[in-house]
Amino acid sequence: MKALLVCEYREGKLLDTTYELIAFANRLGAAKAAVLVGVEAAVPQFDGTLYLADVSALGEYNPAAHKAAILAAAEKEQADYIVFCHSSYGWDMAPRVAAGLKAGQVTEITALVDGGFEVGCCNAKMRRSVKPATTKTVLTIQAGAFTAVAPAGSPNIEKLDIPADGKGVTFGGYEPAEAKDVDLTKAEVIVSAGRGVGKKDNIPLIAELARALGGELGASRPVVDSGWVEHSHQVGTTGQTVSPKLYVACGISGAIQHLAGMKKSDFVVAINKDKDAPIGEVADVLVVADVLQFVPALTAQLQK
Amino acid sequence: MKILVCIKQVPDMESRFKPSGDGLWFDETDLAWRMNEYDEYAVEQAVQLKEQLGNEPELTVLSIGPDRVVEAVKKALAMGADKAVHVQDTVVHQKDPWQIASIIASYARDKGFDLIFTGMQSQDRGSAQVGVLVAELLSIACATTLVGFSYSDGVVNVKRELEGGLKGLVSLQLPALVTCQLGLNVPRYPTLPNIMKAKKKEIEAIPVANLLGEQAIAPTVEFYPPARKGGGVVLEGDVADLAQKLVAILKEKTTVVR
Amino acid sequence: MEATREIYWNIGHGVVLPMYLLVTAAVGLLVWGIWKRLDHWRQGKPLNRFDRFDERAKRMIAEVFGQERVFRVREGGIFHAIFFWAFLTLFIGTLLVMVQADFMAPVLKANILQGRFYEGFSLVLDLAGLAALLMLAGLFVRRFIIQPAGLEITDDDYRVHALLFAILISGFLIEGARMAATEMVTNRSLALFSPVGMLVAMTMANVSADGLLLMHKVLWWLHFALVLGFIAALPYTKLKHILLVSANAFFAPLEEKGAITTINMEDEEAEQFGTATAADLTWKDRFDADACISCKRCQDRCPAHATDKPLSPMKLIKQIGEAAAAGQETSLVEAIGEDAIWSCTTCRACQDICPANNEHVNKILEVRRNLTLMEGAFPGDEVRTAIGNLEVNGNPFGMAFAARADWAEGLEVARVNEGEEADILYFVGCYASFDKRNREVARNFVTICNAAGIRVGILGKDEKCCGEPARKLGNDYLYQMLAQENIETIKATGVTKIVTTCPHCFNTLSRDYRDLGLAIETEHYSTYLNRLIRDGRLALDKAEAQECTYHDSCYLGRYKDIVDEPRAVLNAAGWRVREMDKSGYDSFCCSAGGGRILAEEKLGSRINVARVRQAEATGAPVLVSNCPFCLTMFEDGIKTGGCEETLKVRDLAEIIVERIGGGA
Repeated sequence: MKALLVCEYREGKLLDTTYELIAFANRLGAAKAAVLVGVEAAVPQFDGTLYLADVSALGEYNPAAHKAAILAAAEKEQADYIVFCHSSYGWDMAPRVAAGLKAGQVTEITALVDGGFEVGCCNAKMRRSVKPATTKTVLTIQAGAFTAVAPAGSPNIEKLDIPADGKGVTFGGYEPAEAKDVDLTKAEVIVSAGRGVGKKDNIPLIAELARALGGELGASRPVVDSGWVEHSHQVGTTGQTVSPKLYVACGISGAIQHLAGMKKSDFVVAINKDKDAPIGEVADVLVVADVLQFVPALTAQLQK
Repeated sequence: MKILVCIKQVPDMESRFKPSGDGLWFDETDLAWRMNEYDEYAVEQAVQLKEQLGNEPELTVLSIGPDRVVEAVKKALAMGADKAVHVQDTVVHQKDPWQIASIIASYARDKGFDLIFTGMQSQDRGSAQVGVLVAELLSIACATTLVGFSYSDGVVNVKRELEGGLKGLVSLQLPALVTCQLGLNVPRYPTLPNIMKAKKKEIEAIPVANLLGEQAIAPTVEFYPPARKGGGVVLEGDVADLAQKLVAILKEKTTVVR
Repeated sequence: MEATREIYWNIGHGVVLPMYLLVTAAVGLLVWGIWKRLDHWRQGKPLNRFDRFDERAKRMIAEVFGQERVFRVREGGIFHAIFFWAFLTLFIGTLLVMVQADFMAPVLKANILQGRFYEGFSLVLDLAGLAALLMLAGLFVRRFIIQPAGLEITDDDYRVHALLFAILISGFLIEGARMAATEMVTNRSLALFSPVGMLVAMTMANVSADGLLLMHKVLWWLHFALVLGFIAALPYTKLKHILLVSANAFFAPLEEKGAITTINMEDEEAEQFGTATAADLTWKDRFDADACISCKRCQDRCPAHATDKPLSPMKLIKQIGEAAAAGQETSLVEAIGEDAIWSCTTCRACQDICPANNEHVNKILEVRRNLTLMEGAFPGDEVRTAIGNLEVNGNPFGMAFAARADWAEGLEVARVNEGEEADILYFVGCYASFDKRNREVARNFVTICNAAGIRVGILGKDEKCCGEPARKLGNDYLYQMLAQENIETIKATGVTKIVTTCPHCFNTLSRDYRDLGLAIETEHYSTYLNRLIRDGRLALDKAEAQECTYHDSCYLGRYKDIVDEPRAVLNAAGWRVREMDKSGYDSFCCSAGGGRILAEEKLGSRINVARVRQAEATGAPVLVSNCPFCLTMFEDGIKTGGCEETLKVRDLAEIIVERIGGGA
């Protein structure tokens, strides 16, 4: 089996998620090749062929051109699987490639199971396994689901000559994120507030627990969308991906997007009224209690 | 201008899900239904565009499914869509994204839509494919994950939400398709006059057989609840006791608490 | 000597014709003044307040002459009531004189104003005049010297006080002058029957006879002119309340308290829902603004006003009047302010106390209907979310509807929605179904009923929110959708009796649902339990006497007159009630009515904390309520107010379930 791994290049850097793709390919037991629209100076370190298209000609976001590059590489490799990370690049590009090949696509794979690829559904409350019926398949893998391997090796680079035609789509650059007052990616302890916290007035309770643990305040997306906490505190696929020593999820149900952002935490404590909340999947300890009652009690206990 | 917005009716995510008899999808008993949250933003953006252009554009809303999806369609009509298409399919849940996209593309192909809005993914299946596949089948420009939208003179300017709060700026020439992310706008609450007007708007019913020409290429093999994770400890009881227990565990298992 | 008086003494009978002409002219001006205003009222939309004439007339007469609404607030109320009766007595006295002079004497050649009758007549009128003067002085001191907070002083107040003082004082001066020239000299014993007049006459002892005659004539014409002025200027001074407030007692609604029109959703012609501009007001809305005498009793009782929200029911009434005067296109939301509109808890304290029978609450609800149904506006995002949850799952929490009956696990209840039979249908409501604290009430109620041998039925997951909070926020559409579903479900069960533990569900099912076709007897559990106890079906253990204070929920007390029964139930269980100052019809809202249970209180200070402090002040260790909203607000208020050590809140059901004793 051959897997073509689609690497991402953004803001002048190769993204590390490449090494999760490699880990996945290893799990599949597939021979690896990679394709990248980037620069020669920043190619993934692995043993295999790297198909390289020039990002300065095509641009970092140019779906038509990137699709052409990926299809060209897939054709040359005769790849069975074309694998993306389920990122803002991956979920944008994967269906285009799938359409080009009329290949079945499986989205946001979390595990390999007997009979197919396992993905989450219904807000991570349920699972389904999918078995593509086409000879070629497009896959996207969930961020953090497959632990990245260490970079090792040196690829042989094959250059691709791709026309730059954007076919009606023009990239206008990036708008930087709002200035962050907190860098959660460096925090050792994060205590996050979810919808279960109830209202903005209760956020200070969670912040106090964070302080008592010597950590930072995090938040799930709904809490940020409601304006209770600033975006810089958001944990999740569209916030920050974190890997603290201790992650405390307060009143967070555990939607996939959030889980993806904190699954790499060393130790996870979840506080939730609902025993069956999906966050229980990743929690080392699930405290079944009302956040507003338990958090102050925990803070008090820590301050003793 | 002709605008199309595609919506899906999904169960409310607070529902308890159980596999159906054939084990391929959820059982529909005791489920409350609503418009897919991402699609609400799509409908709202489409209506805002229509209003921006002086109500000249004709906005069509389309949904595939059994009769119950008409509720969601009516909400879109009440928000401001002009007419609706109900592709009648009592077993829509058996179709994969490829089939769904092909049905929509079949419908849209000869209609000359300038702009198509969809949600970025559905809350139940979440495969995030249909929108982009439709654009590919129709060979039109496409961008996903919109958190910003503006239009002028045949060009759509969007902001894509990327990781870490970063946004990507993209321009699209019409005809185009965009998929909408949560927070793109604030979906309006339909006013009563609009709800009443919606009752008179045309809902064209089309049997799915008229539009479907594809087989499933990524079928679901099984739908099941997650295996209970063995490793996690569940603590219940008096809040003060729990606090003590947890601090003891943290002292033992992490280096965070001394 | 004959006890009588020569009418028109010193004035002469020639005055009669000009007097009647002038009075007719004055009355004509009065009528014209009111007539002109008719146009302003007529610009409002039609409303039938002329039906059931007899009932309305009886009520008007009872209220006007009984002054019961005036009396409800002692401060100022006693003065006004006595002033009114005194002035009325003087008016009747004057009428009697007129009847005697212009009818009895010339036509019947009789004299009623003589002898014992005249003695009584004189005394009564003198005392009335004195009472009027004293009361007027009291009212004067209250308004101009004590100056209660919030009571405005306008130019009109100066003028009217001056006018009334002048009329009363000139009246006594006239009497004094006349008596000084007649009775004091010729009929001293008769003079005793006009004590005040006698005192005045004594001060005129040194005035010459001619002087007395001149003074009397001048004062008489002055008095006459003042009275003419009183009559003619009435439409332009606050004295117009004599007519308008009396009329409003006639026009007051005959429907049950809390009734509001059910919007016809089938009406395809309807373009406007609720009131947006002055053009949407009814004639009654405009009339109420004129009938309002700015007594501020409503404002004094408004819980929102008491906690610094921008709402004043009195200002609201006036602002509506001003908007109406400014033109039909005037926006009401701009005139009143959106925050004020959303701050109302519909507790009805304003409307309940208003001596002018003004209708404050429905004016606010109609503006909310416009905001919600025409503009899709919400007081906050949390309300938008709750409304969305009601639409999808039939409860404001967003909990899966299938879990609605989970509270009943382990209890003996009949699933009447599945065809089982029961004695009563218990309509549980959203809070008792899903909220942890309130589920205890539901469970306790079922336990109590079972102990009394009553088989309780529930609708299970087919029950939906009764729709009341949505309705009170203006969303009649969502309310009707929820109501129709409930009504269909209930009718299909065949039950003949419904009991609820929530006053809001109670009001909605017993009154509002009638407009939509439900005619099943619905009762609140406080009166239901009271009857079970009285009929001996529920035996209670009175063992240890305990003390509590009791909170009258707005939707039980003011809306449904249920004040005694809950107290009787508490007493039957051996609990003594230490009343708060604001209890019964004067109860102070918990803050959650008017749909505000779904909203966050962001302005001013917390209403629920204010009420909890009032409860704490009684010294009772337990506060008892029987409404899920009140229970929720008081639990929160106790925490926020820091009263956890001194006060606990319990629901009536929780109290009773502990006292189930003997055997039923």
